[in-house]
Amino acid sequence: MNQLSTLTDAELVQRCRAGDSDAWGELVERYSRYVYAICVRGFRLSEEDADDVFQDVFTRAFMRLETLRDDSALRPWIAQLTRRRCLDAISGGGREQPIDETSTEVGTAGMEEIDEAFAVREAIATLSDACQEILDRFFAQDQSYRTISDELDIPAGTIASRIARCLRKLRDELEGRNDASEGSRD
Amino acid sequence: MVARCSGDSWEDASGVAAQAIAIRERAAQLARADAEAWEKALTALRGAVTGEGDTARRSFDLEQKLERAAAVPLEIGELGADAAALAALAGELGDAAYRADAAAAAALAAGGARAVAHLVEVNLGVRKGDERLARARASEQAATDAAERVLESIR
Repeated sequence: MNQLSTLTDAELVQRCRAGDSDAWGELVERYSRYVYAICVRGFRLSEEDADDVFQDVFTRAFMRLETLRDDSALRPWIAQLTRRRCLDAISGGGREQPIDETSTEVGTAGMEEIDEAFAVREAIATLSDACQEILDRFFAQDQSYRTISDELDIPAGTIASRIARCLRKLRDELEGRNDASEGSRD
Repeated sequence: MVARCSGDSWEDASGVAAQAIAIRERAAQLARADAEAWEKALTALRGAVTGEGDTARRSFDLEQKLERAAAVPLEIGELGADAAALAALAGELGDAAYRADAAAAAALAAGGARAVAHLVEVNLGVRKGDERLARARASEQAATDAAERVLESIR
């Protein structure tokens, strides 16, 4: 894990504004999957269109970063930029089009799911390397307890309980985030 | 089910339930993959018997299909061992009122792993010393041990 990856979005934005190119690289890295997921899963764009939108979103983000009012609201800002560009792609125009309510509803059908997936991904990134590794192997790579045991040199009989403990930490992290966001709305 | 019902008394219950769901989904996928692989292997076997087309190619194709047909059951066997281990954990740490259910789940999973080992040996014609058979037997043994542990606790 590099130092930049531990920065909050607000800290990252401040560094980008100060001209830190590494921070910009981290911002793109942090949000590239998110943008791509909105394009492909939210709006069902073709790979080619998604690539075009991807390029354009980050170009616009770079050019307009000064206009972001709340540095901690980077994710919704990027989501909005992406949605607008996806709608442009669907309508076939290169220029920004007025947003049509119907197409917005279609495009945002999967947004909650995408946002949830990214919230989980961010929460996973706060866990220890050992937890990240074991969760990834079991849930993403579909590895059996035996394979995990062999490859990580951990007793096979402890794998299920280790995974359960890591999931508890993940749940605590996610609940902490939800509590914080609900508190901030009050 | 045991983990879901043990939420009040076991702080890792939901983590165990999540793993059980993942195992169940994986089992459904593997069952479909197994049926597909077996169907392809049967078709290749029929092709080998009827003797149409290039012999070397037919033989290679058959070998590939049989390899695949053997690989999926091995994964199912390992999944059976995982299910039994998880059931044993739930039986040990979950609500005691549901221990018998955990034991039943572990016994069923162990039965599945045993069936896989048997089928690998018989259907695929592997010999003693074959790495695939050793893997299937290891899964069977792990699942049986886990099931025995939890069954013992309710006797």
